[in-house]
Order: sequence, then structure tokens, then C-alpha cells
Amino acid sequence: MGMDAQQRRWVKPLIVAWTAAICLFLYMPVAAAALASLSQSRYFTFPVAKWSTVWWGKTFDSIQIRELIETSITIAMLVTAISVVLAFFGALAFARYRWRGRSLYQRLVLLPIFFPQSVLGLALLLWFSALGLTLSWQTAVFAHLVWIVPVATLVIAIQVYSFDPALEEAAADLGASRWQVLKEVTLPVLWPGIFSGALFSFLLSWGNFPLSLFTTGADSTVPEYLYAKMIAGYTPGVPVLGTVSTLGAAVLLLGGYGLITVIRRARGT
Amino acid sequence: MVAAAERSAQPAAATPARPRSSLGFRYSLPVLLLLAVGFIAPLVAVIAFSFVEPRSFDLWSEPTLANYRTIFEQTYYRSFLWSLAFAALTVVVLAVICYPVAYGLARVFGRWSNLVTLLFVLPLFISENVRLYGWVLFLIKGGVLLGGVKALTGIELTSILFTPPMIVFGMVYVYLPFMLFPMTLGLSMVPREVTEAAFDLGASRAQVFREVELPLAMPGIIIGALLTFVLGVGAIVEAKVLGGQSVIPITHDIEIAFTYAQNWPLGAALSVLLMLVVGVLVLIVLKRFDLDRILGRR
Amino acid sequence: MVSGRFPILELRGLTKRFGELAAVDAVDLDILEGEFFTIVGPSGSGKTTVLRMLAGMESPSSGDILLKGERINDVPANRRPTCMVFQSLALFPHRTVGQNIEFALKIRGDAAASRRARAFELMDLLRLPRSYYKRGVTQISGGERQRVALARAFAYDPQILFFDEPLSAIDYKLRKTLEKELKDIHRETGKTFVYITHSLEEAMVMSDRIGVMRAGRLVQVGTPHEIYTEPRDKFVSEFMGEVNVIDVVADADGLLFAEAFGTRLTAPAHRRGFQKGHLVIRPESLRFLERPEQAENRFEGTLYNEYVLGSRIQYQVRVGEHVFAVERLRQHAFGGRLDDRVLIGWNAVDSILVEE
Repeated sequence: MGMDAQQRRWVKPLIVAWTAAICLFLYMPVAAAALASLSQSRYFTFPVAKWSTVWWGKTFDSIQIRELIETSITIAMLVTAISVVLAFFGALAFARYRWRGRSLYQRLVLLPIFFPQSVLGLALLLWFSALGLTLSWQTAVFAHLVWIVPVATLVIAIQVYSFDPALEEAAADLGASRWQVLKEVTLPVLWPGIFSGALFSFLLSWGNFPLSLFTTGADSTVPEYLYAKMIAGYTPGVPVLGTVSTLGAAVLLLGGYGLITVIRRARGT
Repeated sequence: MVAAAERSAQPAAATPARPRSSLGFRYSLPVLLLLAVGFIAPLVAVIAFSFVEPRSFDLWSEPTLANYRTIFEQTYYRSFLWSLAFAALTVVVLAVICYPVAYGLARVFGRWSNLVTLLFVLPLFISENVRLYGWVLFLIKGGVLLGGVKALTGIELTSILFTPPMIVFGMVYVYLPFMLFPMTLGLSMVPREVTEAAFDLGASRAQVFREVELPLAMPGIIIGALLTFVLGVGAIVEAKVLGGQSVIPITHDIEIAFTYAQNWPLGAALSVLLMLVVGVLVLIVLKRFDLDRILGRR
Repeated sequence: MVSGRFPILELRGLTKRFGELAAVDAVDLDILEGEFFTIVGPSGSGKTTVLRMLAGMESPSSGDILLKGERINDVPANRRPTCMVFQSLALFPHRTVGQNIEFALKIRGDAAASRRARAFELMDLLRLPRSYYKRGVTQISGGERQRVALARAFAYDPQILFFDEPLSAIDYKLRKTLEKELKDIHRETGKTFVYITHSLEEAMVMSDRIGVMRAGRLVQVGTPHEIYTEPRDKFVSEFMGEVNVIDVVADADGLLFAEAFGTRLTAPAHRRGFQKGHLVIRPESLRFLERPEQAENRFEGTLYNEYVLGSRIQYQVRVGEHVFAVERLRQHAFGGRLDDRVLIGWNAVDSILVEE
């Protein structure tokens, strides 16, 4: 309400239509990949001559691809676990407390986000080799953290900004220890932000390509494999795996936010 | 301990804080440590490597400017210009196409906003090369678009794939959410009553936009522009997957130096120059904004 | 005080629905040229929605708005010769005091020099120092911001000014000053002011006429005196401030029977056919009695507590389960002690009878 009299009548439908068009634009290639994954022929042509799920079967039977998915998930889970802990305290320092050096800290946290990821990946590659480390999925976890911890910190910080510090003071005033305040008040109140931070961490790690490209060494993640196949030799396994990773992300994201909504309703907040 | 927390919670009372004992500082330590080891140190390593003898892998040698000389003597400036031009063009295109959506999210969609936001967030989590490859399947000869047109009308069109404009197209596509969300944040910082007041004082829709909405939403728009510009300069996949290497962006040169050419010092020197451009821009812009005001707005 | 007698603004069956809810429900009202009209109501009564429809920021679901006899329902806000002063003031934060005041003139395309001259005129009128012209609007005090908002509205030269509770966020003392100032400015400019507030006290100070709104409907329209002395119903009377209300029914002899107390009460003159309703007695109309015959109606109770309200003192007297508020000027403080038995009473003329 409110602006309705201010806008000409056609403005609102126009904005809705434009947004729908952009949305369509965003999902068009995802749909094209899904189509391609269901074609029986070795090379994709449209209209699809014969539909089939044969490539889905072949992809899932491949041991190599199972290993890829395992590596990707392991990296993403480790990144999530570590980054949520770091980002939780990082966000409190970012938004909750006033301390000297905070403004510098805030800008430092933003820098990795405002930095070309491919260059960051190469810089890390250089750094790891200067330290004499062998590249593997473990170094990739570290590389992901450098970029994802700042993002998760921001996501949680947005929730921390709306947190009333008086709640902590009230709990302390009622006799809670520092640890009890954290456990009974701070964590539960900031929970939605922490959850969002975890979801972001997992999904960003799962989909990351530029950092993985330079830091996984002999190991390989799903996006890396897809890239290699795109550059050198198409197989319908590419759209299959692409569609799987899309569906996985969608289920996690929608399921995650569905869960938040359900829990919020149950709590009555 | 609790007393310290209470004191530092009060903005006014905490001004001359004692950094050593403040909780804020202690909580920031893990993140600071990570960034020191994982961000600052690698950048220092890159800078150091850029002064090493070409094709050497030994960091501990006599510093030399040979790599920078090579860069300025050869045609690397072209790649730089392509990258900067593509990134700038991407920013402009994104600003135009995102504005109506951001306006909708901030003002029009109401309770549907969350769902629409979710729809725009999701692609962020799908690896960009998957989505770009989807475009290849869509636009390639015999793909969804051309194949579809041919089946329906019998007309055979040439594909627009693997041309320079496709690189910008791909960047616009991949970085759309990075422009959209800061822009929405910026627009939602414009108080509704202020635009209403302007309107009430006789301003037309265009005047409200120019005089009030745009200047007040500027912090968000600039952050979005900066973010997409930086990501655009660092883009690497778009040129390969959609551009078909019709143009070589600077990131590609860097990657080649690091991989095929095995000339790390040259790659490092190129990276340093890119970091300089990006870093100066980011620092100038971030210095001007009150982050608490932008992020704390809820 | 009211310069013209013809209606400048007419509301005819004005209605606004949000989904099922009628936020404004068939409001009929004439606002006269040059008057200071205030719409009063609690939050959610629809007063803001009425104002927003009048200003052109919300379109009516049904009914009409007529400005000088012409229907303006479909005229957007930027083409209406009216202007609003917002609750938040809605000053342009990225502009200076001068630029804020000149906004409408700039939009109209006036030359810089004439804009500046007009801005200075208005700053003088509103007692804003001319040196503020180049200041940012975030660098001045709340009262000054208020004046800038007013100057900005006047620069538009509107026929009617709307005010959406612009004083509600200001501290008590400054508010009292600004209320009087606003009334002075109304007198000086002779423009029609339409003001909304949830504070009847504020409305009383400034308005020529007041309209009381409740649940989307206009309950009563009248001068401050009429509203104060003849509230139409219990809601209006209670909205006026703290009052004592006794539920009564008419009995055969034309007297009133207060069931809760089991007594008969002498009633003020009331409408014929009155069946059932409320007897309203203001705290200042209740008195402590030394002898029963000092008042026509009386109750015996216990002095339970006392509150000092600035120049007045309020006493709480409990009669059975009921609590009565009695007020006296400070210099006439009641000498009784807490828990004393006291006799309170009032004369019929000092009470108001409202129908259910």
C-alpha cells in the first residue's frame, strides 16, 4: 500500500513483469542443462529426438563421479563447521561491540569479498608452495575459508545489528555467568543469522570454482570436473552433474529456509 | 568479564576502550588470524614473487624489475583494457536491468519479497560454470534456441556464441545478484515518507527519482557497482566458456603465466598490477561509507 | 477566528478498505476555508488514512473528495494544491536547510535568486536564523527541523496544509511551545490547516474545530468546547482524559439507577427516551464533602492513594469495588490521611449523561 496513488497504474505490473523476465533469464540455462541431461544421444541437439535417463544412470554408476561428490561435500562440510564458529565471533566483533580498531577490522573483513577470486586463488597457490605445502583438498578448505568466513561474518553481522545488547545485560544482571549468557541468550537470539551463515558457507563452498581450481592439487571438486569437461570434450554427464548440483543446492536452500519458517512459527516469533 | 561486556556495549561509554581487554578485539582474533595467514600473507608473497627472476621458483633471490619490464614492453595492456572495459560495461548494464527489480523488492512486492529474494539467491550457489554451460547448450547451433527456431520455422540462424559481447552477457548473467542485493539494500534505505514528501511538493516521478531516490540509494548502488566491477575484472570462466577465447582478459594471461608458461614471477607481477587497480578503487570507496549505517539498517 | 464559512474540502462517504478491513468507513465531513481542523483518534482509528487520501497518497476505495467543489479523487499528490508535514518530517537528508525549503520552487523551475529570496522570507516567518541556510538538516535541533519542514511546505504555497502528528516525537516542553507557535502561524498565514493527532489535549490547544475518529468512523465533530462539554458517547468522553464513568439505567421517575452501587442518582437534563447509558463525572467535578447535603449525589469510600500531578493533586477513592478519581488544585489539597473514610459527591449539572 502507500505508493499506489503515487505510481501510475502500469508501473507495478511492469515491475512485476520485468522481475519475472529477469528470473526467467536466470533460470533459462539451468533449464537448458536439465533438458540436455535427459537426451539419449551422445551430442545434444534440440528438439530432443529421444528422451532417456540413461546418462543419469551412467553418471551415478561412475566411481570417479562419486569420489568427486564426496570430495566436494567433505570440503563444504568442513568449511561450514569452521567458518560458522569463526564468523560467529567475527560478527560479534563486527557489529556488537565497540572497540578501538573496529572500523579497520570491518574493512579488512570486506576486502577478501571485494577481491577477484581467481587472483586470490593464484595468490594462495603461490603462498602454499612457498610454504612447501602439498596441494590437496585440505588446502582447498583453507582457501575457501579465506573467502567464505568474511561472507558468513557479514551474514551473521546483519542479524547481530538487530540484537539488543540489553538482553545480555539483563541476563547477566539476573545472575547468569558469561558462558550462560552466551548459551541461554546470545546464541538462541542470533540463531537464524547463524543458520543463514552456515547455509551460505556450505553452498558457496559447494559451488566454488575459482578458488578450488588453483588450490586442490591432485584432488578435484564437482565444479572443477565440469569445467575440465566443458573445455575438453562434452559428455551428457556434464549437464547431469550440473543439474544434480543445482537440485542439491535448491533443496538445501529451500529446505533450510522452510525449516527456519516452521521453527519460527512454532516458537511464535 | 561481564562488566567489561556491559561497558563496551555502550557506544558512548566505550570510546577510550582498552584494546587488550576488550571482548570485541578478542572475538575478532580468530578472523584476523585467518585473514593474516590466508589473505595478507599470500598477497605479500605475490608481491615478493613479482620481483623474482623470470621463470624462477625461488623466492629468495636478488630482486629484479624484469617482470614489470616485460609487461610494459609487451601487449599485456590490451588484456588489461579488455578486462576493465568488460567489467565497466557489465556494471552499467547491471545497474540498468537491476534497478526495477531492486525497486520491486524494496517497495512493491511486500510479503512476496522474501520468496523473490530466495529465487535470486539460489543461482549464487550453483557453480558459475554450470550455469554458463547451460547458456552454451541454449545458444549453440542445434541448441534450445536455434534448434527450436529451426524446428518451428525452418529458418537457420547463426549462433552468437563465442563472440566478445557474449563475454559481457555471461558476466551480466553471473554477477546479477551481486548488483541486485546491495542495490535493494540501498533503495530500502530511502525512507518512504521522504519520497512521498518530494512527490507531495510537486515533483514528478522522474524528479523524485533524480532528486531524492537516486542520491539516497547511492551507497547501496555504489557498493553493488564496486562488487560487480571487482568480480568482473577477476572473471575467468566467462571468456573461456562463452567467449570461446575470442578475447583474452587479464585473468587469463595470469592463469597462463602460472600454468602453461610456468612463469610464476610474471603471473605475480600481472596480479600485483591488477590488485593495485582493484585495491585502490575498493579502498577509496569503502573509506567513504559508514558500514554500520548500511548494514545495520533493518 | 474562522475567516471564511464555505467548505474548501468536502469528504463524501469517504471509504478505504485494505482487504476486508474498512480502515476508513463512510466519512462525511466539511472542512471550512481558513480553519484549523484537527482529527483526533487513537492509533488504528483511520485518521492517518483519511489524511493520506486527502493529500493524494492513498486512493479512496469509494466516496469522493471535493476541493472547492471539484472532485479530486484521481488527482495525484504532485498536482494537488495541498501539502503535508509528515510525522517523521521527511526532510531530505542529503540536502541543506535552504535546499529543503526551496525544493518545491526548484521543481517548479524558479530561478535561484528568487528561490533564495523566498526561502529567507520563510525562514524569517518561522524564526529560523538565516545563517542556517547552508547547514545540513541533520545538524540542527528537533525544533528547528520542525520549522524547516513547515517552511518547506509553505514554499509550495498550498491552499491546505496537512499535518500528520508532526509533534508526537518531541519532548513535552518543546511540544507545548510549538503547539502555540503553530497556532500563531495559522493566524498569520490564514491558510487552512488539517491536523491529526492522538492527543486531544494537543487538539484542544490549537483547533477551531475537532473531529473525533474511532474504528474508521467519525464519531463527533465540534468546537473544542462542544467536545469537552457535550461528548456524544462514552468513547469520546473517555478520550478526553481520565473520567469517572458509572453505568446507569433510567427508572420510572426520571431518575437514574446505578445498579453497581444499588443507588439512585440525580441526573442532568437528558434526552427524552433515554434508556441505558453512562454517567460521566470529571475528576475535577468530584468533591470531598463534609456533610451529605453539600451535593446532590454522593458515595462513601476509603481514601486509598494520592498522586501529585503538577498543579493538581489526584486522589483515589475506593467505593466497594469501584475506584473514583477526585482532583483538586494543589493549593486546596485535601487534608485526609490514607485509609480514612471519606464522603465524595457531585451536583447533577456537573455530570454528563451519554447514551449507550
